[in-house]
Amino acid sequence: MSDWPEMFEAELLRLGLQPGRASQLAEETTQQAAEYAAPPADVFGPAHLYARHLLAELKAVPLKRLEPGPVLLQLRGVAKRYRRRTVFAGVDLRVRGGEVAAIVGANGCGKSTLLKICAGLTRPTAGEIRRTRRVGFVPQDGGTAGWLTAEEHFTLFGAAAGMVPGRARSTGIHLASRLAWRPGRRQPVQQLSGGTRQKLNLVLGELHAPDLLLLDEPYQGFDQGTYLDFWQQVFAWRDAGRAVVVVTHLLHDLQNVDHVLDLGAYLTGGER
Amino acid sequence: MTALVVASLSAREISRRWVALALVVALPLWFYLVRRDLAGQSTRMLALGIGWSVSTLTLFVVNASRSVDPRLRLTGASTAGIIGGRLLALSGVGLSVAFAYWLLVGVDQDLRNWWLAGLMMAVTALVAAPLGSLIGALLPRELEGALALLSICAVQMLADPSDTVAKLMPFWSTREIGTYAVDGGSLDMVWRGLGHAGLVWLICTGGTLAIFSKRLRLQNYPEPT
Repeated sequence: MSDWPEMFEAELLRLGLQPGRASQLAEETTQQAAEYAAPPADVFGPAHLYARHLLAELKAVPLKRLEPGPVLLQLRGVAKRYRRRTVFAGVDLRVRGGEVAAIVGANGCGKSTLLKICAGLTRPTAGEIRRTRRVGFVPQDGGTAGWLTAEEHFTLFGAAAGMVPGRARSTGIHLASRLAWRPGRRQPVQQLSGGTRQKLNLVLGELHAPDLLLLDEPYQGFDQGTYLDFWQQVFAWRDAGRAVVVVTHLLHDLQNVDHVLDLGAYLTGGER
Repeated sequence: MTALVVASLSAREISRRWVALALVVALPLWFYLVRRDLAGQSTRMLALGIGWSVSTLTLFVVNASRSVDPRLRLTGASTAGIIGGRLLALSGVGLSVAFAYWLLVGVDQDLRNWWLAGLMMAVTALVAAPLGSLIGALLPRELEGALALLSICAVQMLADPSDTVAKLMPFWSTREIGTYAVDGGSLDMVWRGLGHAGLVWLICTGGTLAIFSKRLRLQNYPEPT
């Protein structure tokens, strides 16, 4: 495992860490392993998992927040119409790396539709959208196969992202542990509770380490502890330089975000 | 690689739905047992039963995957990988069912050409998977899709094989190859059957791919500057 430091550094870069910082962490980690007179893999485990673990630990340190990074999502004058009904029009939003944006609004005002437009799953009627290529999407419900287990989902989504099965599974299990969840090896997804299924959805959205995360009320069914874990996770993504867009209707979430897009304000008069 | 993983996990998913799987395996048996005294009739009905059960199973698998496919696309999978993998799995299931019934017919009936009876069943299973997939793509709701497949199979069973209507149905090849396997005749019947099956397979597979390519198309946004 002599290439462990390189793999570790590459994973840190892939997770969005700045090159200088990644190089420094790789060097420090190698030195720590040398102090134990053992290969880094024996001390820290697989490089890609330790990289994620270390980033999660770093977010717990109250560091000064980094300046926002490059723009990862930009919407200008985006509109959606179904036949004669205008859902929303003239929506503008700009989210940089290291920022969290919340989309709020009443039921039926098009929050989920806007998120699908951002993902590229739905076509806007008008407007301009620019978006980074690597994007993770977590739907409000569904999005999983009921007869497959969580680990099989990791394999499936990992394969879609070009990851080998073993790595996809270990990454998925590691990400699940950060939401205080240990996936059962034999339990099909349809037997999971609603909250646990949403944890799986979150893990699947993050499995391929996207630069932009689009989350559609992902905390439905979470208990209080998991809900707090979820927001800690959002801040960890933010601090790792990623952009996060969350659809929410919980107003107390809004104090923690950088941008709030009230979609209700974009409804045209008389159509509410 | 995605196609192989999708195929392997789809097969695993089907194997866990053991009640549905048991019904899929049993359905052709009822068709067979009803006219077991007539070798030709029972074998051809058995093959059409395989076609019906495999296409219906495919329809349900395709519909069950509807919410997963867009996420897989967004994660990086190609439409051909997703659809191809699923068709591979369902074709494998269909061929396994066909193989089991081919052995049964070999033991239970005295057919003129047992090998070609196997070809008939294999061709039926291979046509059934993309047919079910195409119906699933065209009719997203399970009830509508199941009724459409029921109509297709009923017309295929009842129509005179020499009629134009029968030739326009997807399992005409089953009747054509089956007639040669049971009653004999010109070898042209087998070639015509294979040609028909090949054409139906291409139409159904191509149609499924075309529909899902449109449905799973991602908007290609430029990168922010």
